[in-house]
Amino acid sequence: MSLSIKQLLENKGIKPREEHLEILEGRRKGMAELRGDLSGVAIDDADIGMRNIPGGDHVE
Amino acid sequence: MSKELAAKSVEELAPLIKDKSLSPVELTEAVLQQADDTQGEINAYMEIYRDEALDMAKQAETDINNGNYKGMYHGIPMGIKDNVYFKDKVSTMSSKIHKDFVSDHDATVITKLREAGVVFTGKVSMHEYAWGITNNNPHYGAVKNPWNHEKIPGGSSGGSGAAVAVGSSVASLGTDTAGSIRIPSSACGIVGLKQTHGLVSKYGVYPLAWSLDHVGPMTKTVKDAAGLLQIIAGYDKQDPTSVKAPIDDYVGSITGNVKDLVIGVNEEYFFNEVDSGIEKLVRNAIDELVKQGAKVKEVKIPTLKYAEWAELVTSLSEASAIHHSDMLTRPDDFGNDIRMLFELGELPSAVEYLQAQQVRRQLKQDFQKAFNEVDILMMPTLPVLPNDIGDDWADLNGKKVDLIDNIIRFTGPGNLTGLPGLSVPCGFSNGLPVGLQIMGPAFSEATILNAGYAFEQTNPMGNNKPELLK
Repeated sequence: MSLSIKQLLENKGIKPREEHLEILEGRRKGMAELRGDLSGVAIDDADIGMRNIPGGDHVE
Repeated sequence: MSKELAAKSVEELAPLIKDKSLSPVELTEAVLQQADDTQGEINAYMEIYRDEALDMAKQAETDINNGNYKGMYHGIPMGIKDNVYFKDKVSTMSSKIHKDFVSDHDATVITKLREAGVVFTGKVSMHEYAWGITNNNPHYGAVKNPWNHEKIPGGSSGGSGAAVAVGSSVASLGTDTAGSIRIPSSACGIVGLKQTHGLVSKYGVYPLAWSLDHVGPMTKTVKDAAGLLQIIAGYDKQDPTSVKAPIDDYVGSITGNVKDLVIGVNEEYFFNEVDSGIEKLVRNAIDELVKQGAKVKEVKIPTLKYAEWAELVTSLSEASAIHHSDMLTRPDDFGNDIRMLFELGELPSAVEYLQAQQVRRQLKQDFQKAFNEVDILMMPTLPVLPNDIGDDWADLNGKKVDLIDNIIRFTGPGNLTGLPGLSVPCGFSNGLPVGLQIMGPAFSEATILNAGYAFEQTNPMGNNKPELLK
């Protein structure tokens, strides 16, 4: 079962405007098309640069 | 005389101020007069600091008369984007929710500009919370494009772009998360620089999306941008993304010599789906640099095909996280356009956000491979011309296309990768300015500024000025 955009947002406590729902659905589909299948991107094994800096930022 | 002064660039004004043939007070009065004369039509300012600006100008004059000239920006009047904090002053972010917000500290960039002797004329308008590109603000009114008042000035730093173009600020600072310095710079016919991420502190600047945000110069000329970057660049431990990097002599590195410079062109992404008038001007600009001794080489950047998705997921998610609490408690206080973007930003999953960061890393590697072969990349700043105020669609060679999706296509990759991008005016199409974008490797600001300067010397804008500056 897939949740509607309205349900997804309401589950987070956000009340979307009714007139936004159709536009949001269109934009969500558009983003899925832009994403495609990410072919050529090493999604399963790529490391990413999220840094975990012990001591906090800019340890001198 | 007042308009003539307001029209001048920093590089023209600074020598006059330095040799005391122009008083900072006279210049500030001229710029404030231009702000008054244009505000009703252009709406660039949120607030004008008239008395304080004149006090600061008098102080600058006294300092200079006492032999304490501080450099190129000493005594130069500037309006600053309204998401950059001034101590004990209101910074609204052009929003209703923050309309009374007063910061207890200056942004680091403001501290640096104070030390350089800049005269602050006030705060300029922006798209609400910087989350848009039209500057059609529901709370404070639309900012208009000085070249055609029915058109958007671009955004989100549209007040900065319009103010500099119309001479109500000699130069300005903008912020850029998906193109918000370069988009209004292109649309308003001025120079905009989004420098390498981490080179300029973001401390004291209200965020839109932490990992994509930048603060940078918006100016009349390339040398003005170089001079402003010289002042604001530098490590700041108060900004967690600040980087300890060497600060070049940006102004001194500008020679205009581009002999043997290798220009990269990526046809597949940056020249695909471009307004034909814009494409012609940008290709002409590349040809101009080739005439001056540069070479051209085509490069491939395969991951660009996912850049727009990664930019959208990252910016939407980060922006919605920042405004989540207000979306729960007072959503009606947001403008309708950004409220919808905040709703949209609640939808991507954590997995999608992290996959976008994986795309981002590979995009950085692809750009780096390209920069192993070429010195800079050149492309249009925008694929479309500024649209009518209130219209959500842009015209792309006779086809109606979504404005926001298209207008960030060529600027967003600079934010995702953190690489520097400079927009330089390259002519007019349908009476509207067009920007050429020059990108380079990390911390190559001196190189892209020099290439921009070399092209600027061909005078692509002629002697044209907005009507309100004549």
